[in-house]
Amino acid sequence: MAVNDPGGADADAEEPPSMLWGLDPVFSAYSRLYITDILRMKESRQVPGVYFYKNHPLFQVDVLGTVVYKRERDDFYCYGVDDSTGVINCLCWKDEKWRDQGEPTKCRDPSGSSRGFNIEDELKRLKEAERQSTQLEIGDLLRIRGTVKTSRDAREIKATCFYKVSDPVMAVQISRMLEMPQLYRKCYDEPFQMPSDDLGGTEAGGSSHFHYLLSRSVLTLKEFLSEKEVARFRPYDVEFLLHPLIQSSSAEQESDQPRTSLATQIRKLLKETLSVLQDEGQIFRKIRTQDEVYNVTEQDKDLHTAIKDILREDTKREKYAEKGCHVLHILSSMRQRYSQNLSREVLEVALTFLECKSDIISTTEAHYIVL
Amino acid sequence: MLPPPAAFYFPLEINTDLVKDGASVRTFGRLTSYVPEESKAVLSGQQSSAQCHVSVQTTLVEPFQPILGAQYFVLGEIEKTDGLSGVILHARALTCVDGVDLSLMQQAIVEQRRFFKERET
Repeated sequence: MAVNDPGGADADAEEPPSMLWGLDPVFSAYSRLYITDILRMKESRQVPGVYFYKNHPLFQVDVLGTVVYKRERDDFYCYGVDDSTGVINCLCWKDEKWRDQGEPTKCRDPSGSSRGFNIEDELKRLKEAERQSTQLEIGDLLRIRGTVKTSRDAREIKATCFYKVSDPVMAVQISRMLEMPQLYRKCYDEPFQMPSDDLGGTEAGGSSHFHYLLSRSVLTLKEFLSEKEVARFRPYDVEFLLHPLIQSSSAEQESDQPRTSLATQIRKLLKETLSVLQDEGQIFRKIRTQDEVYNVTEQDKDLHTAIKDILREDTKREKYAEKGCHVLHILSSMRQRYSQNLSREVLEVALTFLECKSDIISTTEAHYIVL
Repeated sequence: MLPPPAAFYFPLEINTDLVKDGASVRTFGRLTSYVPEESKAVLSGQQSSAQCHVSVQTTLVEPFQPILGAQYFVLGEIEKTDGLSGVILHARALTCVDGVDLSLMQQAIVEQRRFFKERET
């Protein structure tokens, strides 16, 4: 029978790249692993301090177990915790506020009859209770949440939160024992799905490849338009931006795919890109003529002025004075005044832009007034 | 420095060959006798109408409040002598857990074992 090595299996297999770790929900959570797995996890080669269980990156754990070893220093407790699968050392720092406590103070009113709510006494009692919950003896049940550390070849947990669990009828331990296998099955033993698996550059049909290209080209164009503060352009002005994308992708394409000419590919990509940007409202055609001219929403000063004028004039009227103008009202006014082809998306992009510049402000989700 | 982990065993299994000499175990049972002078206690378990007894050496966990008839949880090392004393559990931790749901506890132990067995394959 092969040696059981769940955490380190496929140790030679590639670790997922560290850029993608945040996509794994396990990475951000305090994982409830068996101590035996925590002890056997492999440390990442990319970032020390992060460990892998199967291919899940993690560095924080949540453990419940019996204290079987105790060592106390001035600043911290070191508890050895046994959850029946393994034993691990837990470093539990003492809280600053208890250092000055000294003797646990007695209640000022020894007779027991409470003459009202004395806040100082209650606070002292609360602090004392908190302190007691961190002082454990061998045999007590400890819950600890913390980061995994390896020091001097020994793995240990540095606690961010720890406390003594009161479990008189073992209900907490029993429910944990029942819950862990389910967590493993549903979560930790399920492989971490990385999104790059979906992109598949050389898939037959290449439609996913095209989508990838499209998203790259939309981003490239957006960045160019905003960096160069382009207010208006024609398609052939920006065609050059797509050349590097097509060239690098055709280098990867399979030789048996039909070879469309570079020019056709570029034209197709450009057409789709402009269409996406129009749908998003980032660009628009003011006048529909043979001449294909696009205006860039965030750079079109005339558009902004027209919007502000409408708001200024209409908020003088009593009807709109307090609440402001609704988006649809602005849209119909703009269509009369500025361009018949204006879409709601374009208007919303412009309104958001103006609001970010603090020229206008939204009074409700769909109403605006000028400042 | 750290003691070895103590796996869960049913009281019936303690006296069998399932548990090796020197192994660290966790188990539970009803306290039926306690002799403080010798630091010896006996926990009894009932499983499918079979009574079984586990002898516990309580030197390390004294003093404790003995409640005869109550359920106790114990963690410690097994000592198997071929002589008359039989199997002794040297307790490192002994806690009263009277009121524990025994059938649920049994279910939990079985579930955990089943999971570990699945992993090995």
